[in-house]
Amino acid sequence: MKKKSKNLVGIVSTIALVVLVIVMGLIYTKLGPQGMKGDKSIVVQVITSEDDSQEFKINTDAEFLRQALDEKDLINGSDSDYGFFITGVNGREAEVDNQEWWQVTKNGEYLPYGVNDIAIADGDHYEITLMVGY
Amino acid sequence: MKIKDIVIIGMMGAILVGIQVAMGLLPIPNLELVSLLVIVFTLVFGYRTLYIIYIFVLLEGFFYGFGPWWINYLYVWTILFFVANFFRKRKELILWATISGAFGLGFGALCSIPYFITGGFPTGIAYWVSGIPFDIIHGIGNFIVTLFLFKPIYRILNKLSNNGMISV
Repeated sequence: MKKKSKNLVGIVSTIALVVLVIVMGLIYTKLGPQGMKGDKSIVVQVITSEDDSQEFKINTDAEFLRQALDEKDLINGSDSDYGFFITGVNGREAEVDNQEWWQVTKNGEYLPYGVNDIAIADGDHYEITLMVGY
Repeated sequence: MKIKDIVIIGMMGAILVGIQVAMGLLPIPNLELVSLLVIVFTLVFGYRTLYIIYIFVLLEGFFYGFGPWWINYLYVWTILFFVANFFRKRKELILWATISGAFGLGFGALCSIPYFITGGFPTGIAYWVSGIPFDIIHGIGNFIVTLFLFKPIYRILNKLSNNGMISV
């Protein structure tokens, strides 16, 4: 009897987990970032201080910002638990000891997802700003 | 609290950090042992696990910097502790693997709470949805890791505590 109940717990919990994975996969397919095919021209402004910024015009057929930036060899970074983590832009590395980090915004608006998932469109303007302090 | 307890709590906190950092070097993101260890610590050390969790969180902050992610760490592991504590009398390995897997799947949702609060519903949803592939890897990884390592780790820590090497 006890063994039967244990088996039932195992079967039910495993099925529940599988269902959850499937539901999350469907949600991602429906609501996840959708890239657009075709040629685009975007502008990326790299801001390292109030007085120092540089603009890069990128012509690309990439669907997401990461790929467009990689094509220009603009960013360095590493994959983390939260996605791709930008550590350097245009040769300028963020100094962790000084609590420096890079923030990506679009027309000054905060973006709630990582550079891998930012779908780009023709005419987009992005800013990558060196921030200080957490 | 005895000095021995303080030493054990510090050691376990350091072990969590060491394992987290080591696993972070693997090419597969979100494969981690912290969830499993938090579950096992809860079963062996009970409420003392909260000290271990917050030592771990503090050390992680020193190691990686106190970024926005650190706010999430202040509550996500504690939620896992309370869930594990709720089920602490259950012995089924598959149940622990499921809890660990479900925690991995829900990790992004838990971490998106600050974004729901600060940016509103669309921002919170966007943050959560964009991390779903990572959550799925996290959940499946946790399930498998717990299925294979729960018993040996639990057995070792339980033996140490029963032998009086760890006071609980």
